[in-house]
Amino acid sequence: MSHLNAIGLEIAVLATGLALLLLDLWAKPGQRRQLAYGAVLALGAIFVASFAVSAPEPRLAFGGLYVLDELALFFKRFFLLAAVIVLVTEIEFAERLDAGSSEYHALTLFALVGMMFAASANDFALLFVALELVTVTFYVLVSYQRRRTPSLEAGVKYLILGALSSAFLVYGIALVFGVSGTMNFLHLTASPPEILQSPLLAIGLLLVLVGLGFKVAAVPFQIWAPDVCQGAPLPTTAFLAVGSKATGIVLLLRVLFVAAPAVTARWNHALLVVAALTILYGVLCAIPQRSLKRLMAYSSIANAGYLLIGVCVGNTEGVAAMLFYLGGYLFAVLAVFLVATLAWRGTDADEIPGLAGLCQRSPFLAGGLTLAMMSLAGVPPLAGFFGKFLLLKAAILGGATHPGLYWLAGLTIVAVVISLYYYFGVIRAVYWGENPADVSPLAVSWPARAVLGLCLFGMLWLGLFPANVLNLAQIAAAAIKF
Amino acid sequence: MTVGLEHYLIVSALLFSLGLLGVVLRRNLLLIYLSLEMMLNAANLALVAFSRFNHNLDGQVMVFFVITVAAAEVAVGLALIVALYRRRQSAHIEDLASLRL
Repeated sequence: MSHLNAIGLEIAVLATGLALLLLDLWAKPGQRRQLAYGAVLALGAIFVASFAVSAPEPRLAFGGLYVLDELALFFKRFFLLAAVIVLVTEIEFAERLDAGSSEYHALTLFALVGMMFAASANDFALLFVALELVTVTFYVLVSYQRRRTPSLEAGVKYLILGALSSAFLVYGIALVFGVSGTMNFLHLTASPPEILQSPLLAIGLLLVLVGLGFKVAAVPFQIWAPDVCQGAPLPTTAFLAVGSKATGIVLLLRVLFVAAPAVTARWNHALLVVAALTILYGVLCAIPQRSLKRLMAYSSIANAGYLLIGVCVGNTEGVAAMLFYLGGYLFAVLAVFLVATLAWRGTDADEIPGLAGLCQRSPFLAGGLTLAMMSLAGVPPLAGFFGKFLLLKAAILGGATHPGLYWLAGLTIVAVVISLYYYFGVIRAVYWGENPADVSPLAVSWPARAVLGLCLFGMLWLGLFPANVLNLAQIAAAAIKF
Repeated sequence: MTVGLEHYLIVSALLFSLGLLGVVLRRNLLLIYLSLEMMLNAANLALVAFSRFNHNLDGQVMVFFVITVAAAEVAVGLALIVALYRRRQSAHIEDLASLRL
């Protein structure tokens, strides 16, 4: 029974998804929207209920396969909150789908279940299954507008590259299992030193990191991100950029710092180089973009690089800063995609100049987009600024033992300055864009208003009063023993 | 000659490399997809061999998970490729070029 208690949150989300699928059979076309709002409310209730759960001591379940600790809980709450906002975006998007809007929401919920299981993975078997649950569901979600060729193409590209990365992942798991004789992270850490020094184990872990790097979209596994993000429906792009990336991050933390800290310590330089290249690639390639989705894809690559700074620092402060940064990133990115969904209602446009006139059509949406872009750019006093500040602080403090971090911190500051250019390009298009195609006022439904308000509140709150969330992030980071 | 762990591992590594070569060199989506399945099965072979020679059943259990997940992946993947074929009348990757800078 205690095992089922441990996965209570996942079971609740899964039940919501299944109920949504079933009730859709009896729903009349006009009732689908209410049904989806019901799912949003259920998710919100699960999010609130998750604060009733706490795990000061890690709880193992299912023979050590699954662990419930504060880190897992932090990420479960993160995923739930992201899914609530994404679902509301999807409801606004549903009119652009040919059919099957309830299935679209249900698939999002199933991906969410995969993410929540991944947050608790303590064994390579659960890591693989949870990751594949997320990836396979995203194949469908990305190509959901199957009458639009770009959406299908994006789906096929994601499919081929995703399957390739999972092949590497499985082969890596096979090697790790062959050398150490175990798939459990805790047993692997406790292996004798001659096993931990084995080159075959290092190769296996490297292949596992290929699979995870693909999810995070870190260089050199970022090739898929721009095309897939551009072709996918807007809410799916949002969920890819936030949920899928965070799944990769939490698994990266587990593998690097729980399963094989001894091997990770030898890879510090390689991690630094990957983080630096990821930041540079994302920032430089974002400059010439005209498509908002593509811009956000490159921005998400750059943000993956910023998040990897926390991994490079490799102590509790670094990881806590990274978790805090993820929180700010969630609100800003989801706000951008919600505004884009509302502003481009009824079209498949995604060019940034097409945002011209948004400030007259709906000042609230224009203001929301502006704040989100400023937060992504790292303008004080928003969440993005404080997150970057914490990451840089952790990097500079860590530089005392590992001088490469000074370089990484310097590079980050340069990258942030460059990124101001393209983020402010979007704001310029909103307020000073020329030849607006349409100046009719935009009607925004109240749930969308409320959720956008929540995102704006989140960005301001994390920026002005960071103490609460930072405290949560520190408790979560303390679950990893460095 | 007795067949030992290393023989299985060599075959597995060969299969994996052949699959990877297929993914990189082939231009037809279906053949790329077949090569990907071959890579997964190479990993399965390695898992089973390690499991057999280390007297530890965890690897065999893992193979069941991999097979199940691969089946789900094939179901979704083939549906996608067929849907794309219907629109484009082609399953070549050179035709996947509508998403470019």
